[in-house]
Amino acid sequence: MTAKLDRRNLLSLGLAGALALPVSARAAAGKKLKIALSNSYIGNKWRIEMENLFKAALLMEPFAAEIEGSWFNSGNDVSKQSQQFSNLIAERVDAIVLNAASPTGLDGIIKQATDRGILVVSFDNVVTAPSALKVNTDQFAFGRMGAEFVAKKIGGKGNVIMVTGVAGTHVDLDRNKGAESIWAEHPDIKVVSRYTGMWDSATAERNTAAALPSLPPIDGIWCQGGTDGVLKAFIAAGRKLPPTAGEAENGFRKFLTGYMGHQVDGISIGQPPFLSVISLELARRALKGDYPKKNITIPFPYVTSETVKVGETVFPDLPDSFFADFTDAGPHATVKICVDAALDGKACAGRLDVDLPSA
Amino acid sequence: MPPRAARRSLLAHAIARNIGLVLVIFLLVFSIFLYGLIYGLTEGRLPGGFELTSTVNNTMPLVLAAMAQTLVVLTRGLDLSVGGVVDLANALGAISLGATPARMALASAFILLAGAGLGLVNGILVAYGRLQPILVTLATLSIYQGLAIRILPQPGGAVPEGYTALLTNPSVPAALLYVVLLGLFWTAFRRSQAGIAIIAIGNDEGAAAANGINPLRAKLLAYTLSGFFAAAAGLFLVATATAGDATTGNGYTLTSIVAVVLGGVSLFGGRGSAIGAMLGAFVTTMIVNILFFAHIDPLYQSFYEGAFLVIAVVLAEGLGRFVRKRR
Amino acid sequence: MSAAPSLEAITASKAYGGVQALDNASFSALPGEVHALVGENGAGKSTLIKVLGGRVRPDSGTIRIDGAKVVHGGPNDAHLLGCWTVFQELTLLPWMSVAENLLLRREPRNALGLTSPRRLVAAAGRVLEKFGITEIDPRALIEDLPLAARQVIEIVRALSHEPRILLLDEPTSALMERETAWLFAQIRRLRATGTTIVFTSHRWHEVETIADRITVFRGGRDVGSFTTLAEEEAVTLMTGQRVETFYPPLPAAPSARADAMLSVADLAGGRLAGVSFTLHQGEILGVGGLAGHGHRELFLMLFGAERPHAGRILLRGREVRLRSPRGAIRNGIALVPEDRKTEGLLLPLSVRDNLTLAVLDRLSRFGVIGRAAERAQAARLMARLAVRAPNAAIPVGTLSGGNQQKVLLGRWLLADCPILLFYDVTRGVDVATKHEIYELMMELARSGSAILFYSSDALELAHLAHRVLVLREGRIAAELPALDLTAEQIVAAAMRERLAA
Repeated sequence: MTAKLDRRNLLSLGLAGALALPVSARAAAGKKLKIALSNSYIGNKWRIEMENLFKAALLMEPFAAEIEGSWFNSGNDVSKQSQQFSNLIAERVDAIVLNAASPTGLDGIIKQATDRGILVVSFDNVVTAPSALKVNTDQFAFGRMGAEFVAKKIGGKGNVIMVTGVAGTHVDLDRNKGAESIWAEHPDIKVVSRYTGMWDSATAERNTAAALPSLPPIDGIWCQGGTDGVLKAFIAAGRKLPPTAGEAENGFRKFLTGYMGHQVDGISIGQPPFLSVISLELARRALKGDYPKKNITIPFPYVTSETVKVGETVFPDLPDSFFADFTDAGPHATVKICVDAALDGKACAGRLDVDLPSA
Repeated sequence: MPPRAARRSLLAHAIARNIGLVLVIFLLVFSIFLYGLIYGLTEGRLPGGFELTSTVNNTMPLVLAAMAQTLVVLTRGLDLSVGGVVDLANALGAISLGATPARMALASAFILLAGAGLGLVNGILVAYGRLQPILVTLATLSIYQGLAIRILPQPGGAVPEGYTALLTNPSVPAALLYVVLLGLFWTAFRRSQAGIAIIAIGNDEGAAAANGINPLRAKLLAYTLSGFFAAAAGLFLVATATAGDATTGNGYTLTSIVAVVLGGVSLFGGRGSAIGAMLGAFVTTMIVNILFFAHIDPLYQSFYEGAFLVIAVVLAEGLGRFVRKRR
Repeated sequence: MSAAPSLEAITASKAYGGVQALDNASFSALPGEVHALVGENGAGKSTLIKVLGGRVRPDSGTIRIDGAKVVHGGPNDAHLLGCWTVFQELTLLPWMSVAENLLLRREPRNALGLTSPRRLVAAAGRVLEKFGITEIDPRALIEDLPLAARQVIEIVRALSHEPRILLLDEPTSALMERETAWLFAQIRRLRATGTTIVFTSHRWHEVETIADRITVFRGGRDVGSFTTLAEEEAVTLMTGQRVETFYPPLPAAPSARADAMLSVADLAGGRLAGVSFTLHQGEILGVGGLAGHGHRELFLMLFGAERPHAGRILLRGREVRLRSPRGAIRNGIALVPEDRKTEGLLLPLSVRDNLTLAVLDRLSRFGVIGRAAERAQAARLMARLAVRAPNAAIPVGTLSGGNQQKVLLGRWLLADCPILLFYDVTRGVDVATKHEIYELMMELARSGSAILFYSSDALELAHLAHRVLVLREGRIAAELPALDLTAEQIVAAAMRERLAA
């Protein structure tokens, strides 16, 4: 571990030399860095967990000592987020961590921020503005991973359904493309239905219930979100639950261990809410000049029916809508954080170490 | 000869007639003052050129959407498709604006005409189909949004820098010029035959028809102009963003109605000024600014926004009644 | 009858839904003639005027102007032929100014085709002045004007077009004496220039005063044209039956010991400058005087719709504060207003719903309305009031004015309110319905209701009230006993003329 860190430090030093990493004036003066989270929509569990983790991180070292943090929500109103962004520029913050309402709608104001020397780190719904740093997962890989799992489980043959996400977003498109690239390799797999679940369990359940009566027996489910809703609709329709690839909803993971009298053979892949913490760490270190200003792609945390662990990656006492991937697990975890941080934004015991990919 | 018709002073008349406008001016001045105060307290300086420019540029799309909404609301209708037209113009703008000035002008003109055409469709359905405006435009909202996504399936495209500089220059608040032009347009329109006809049918469609006004033609015009201005809002939106997104206009359906209400335009039609609605748009932005610098917990922000809106509307209604009684 | 008619309708028919409003009706008027159309409400007068004025297209029949057949495509076509109409339901735009209304579609314009408020007001001022109107501010919003002033504006607008044919549908129903005199002067002036004037009125003395010829309508048809016609004959023609006594006999005046139902002490507010009186059980107390002298405020205050600035209201000797109409109704006070459309009835609702609205508490159990009970009550009332409607489920708005008024009366009848405020209830109501309303009033008084009764028709007060209070400038100018009271006395008191005591 030490050796690894050393190597990274060396590397970043080298990079710093090469790119002449600018060090924030506040960081140089030893003052607290002002970093704000600009979030758009806050109406679902994932976003709430994401923001709670950000708040919790601000209360934990090393962030508590070094950062003066704030957070803002604008809803899906781009012009409002843009106006808040302008106000953050006016407030002269050092960095803005951004989950945008639109991948392009803020490009103009982001450029104005970066032109003024403000670091913008965009995550989850990442922006296209070239001057912003991006922290994300590979959504194409999400689509492939799930589809690959389903294809293997059903022996490369059979009827599958695709429950897609919110149309018009990059994430939706990339995940679908990833899945389709796998279906293309298996000519015997037939996508018999494709409808949106809006990344929402209730919507997914309703739309599945509406689609099922007209569908032949289903051998596999590939779902972007609202997975537990899809399975509940299957149960309600009296259908057997086929191998399923889905998101990290606690409800879905309960099915992996056995829930409502059914046990599902599946894979649960999460867009981790702790992306906000990784972005915060990237901003902090980049401002201090000990990490290069570069984009980061982190691997998806995922569990399967074989690897899922009660109390660690699935929580029988928490609601189905809770996202169970608030923390990474295993020896190579990027972020390890307690469940209270995700639920209430409370600090956990100890330091919060974020393992950014080697620079 | 008639029993009571006391003459009032010119000013009293002007205030009574334009009570909505008077109130929104008051609201705007008050909110700017409050913003300046809170900003000064938290930042230790006063807002400057950047704050003014970004506020104006960010509000421009809503200013245009409010103009679009006003025209329809005055006829006693409601245009829910404003957001859809903004989306479409945004999507079209992102893919078609090109690089040369001629191309930009041509594409802009085409997009504005397309917007007018979409508005005309609403108008035809409302006027000739004798359908409820709210139903027609709810349906066309979905259709226009769907078309927009088709045109620009994922956010992208690009707007040339020159176009952004022309519409929403990021360095100087030049867009204020457009606000002034829109104000002049409204003043002239309100005094034209067409403008009078639109207001007259909002007063009482039957009475207007008895006076020889063609309600169908007035509605077609109102909806067509609404589409035109909504498309202009889309162009301004794509200009500030510098790239397109076919979904970012959705919010303008609701926010344009908010601006119209704040601006003192009666949702029952026939009363109000687009200038008020445009100022109402600025009030909504000032509310965002005030809540930002007051560091209100983000979770309670929409609560305060709603409370502010209710207070403003109640105040407007109460003041209007007070002025009326005191003749 | 040597001149050729300037305006004719030949076998015109028009049906609204199932109601045949005009049924093969014919009509003709000569140049320079003032032609009165009389008949009950629902007889087809208004429809004929709308057909003649191009507002409504007849289902069949022919309209001729100066002998040439015309097919109006809308009001504009009639206007082009010099034919202008003053509609009964005013066609003014409420949230626009007097000036904008007067000069709608012919505003003074500059080279760009734009008008300016200043020029508009100046031009409207000149129009008003030309017709002798000096007290209406052209900048005022129509909404802020009293009904009479609105009616005057509507008339001025038509006059200002220098019509060759002028159609007036109940132009005087909202006017007071002075304004009516003004209108008649305008009509005479136009008649002298050869204009054809067609008008409708329910006030016989007006018809007698101004009309050169009278055409009577009944049931959508013309039943005769006359150059002279006695009122009794006219009533017979209009109703198809002889009306024995137009004003029913008053029940005996309550004795001095009768219970005081409602007392008012120094009530003031708005135009009301302090009035005191007592209304007894079984009494019909008339209130007279010119409009705008506080009657309206008095009635609205007693109904809780306006707050007094000073004074007390006592019900059976107990002081009450009436904060809302709801509170007034709960205290047993009901108001039957003049302007049925805006103040009393919910026009899109059915006749039945309107009848039972005030007593829903009683008809419902646990907040659910007992439909059967509601139906039965409504049916009984409709029969008793002789409401002319195909059934109880049709919207009140489709009924004629008199029948709407009866529905409103029926509502309070059902509510059993001991104190009834009648505010000019017979305005714009046809002869037969008027009579029915009078009968109803007497019956209510006999059964012990106390009735405060304002009317703009002094004759009505003279015949139907036990006493009459005349209001002038917000105070009681005179209290006249019923015995041998004449309309002239009431008018004289109202006009501040010395009474021959």
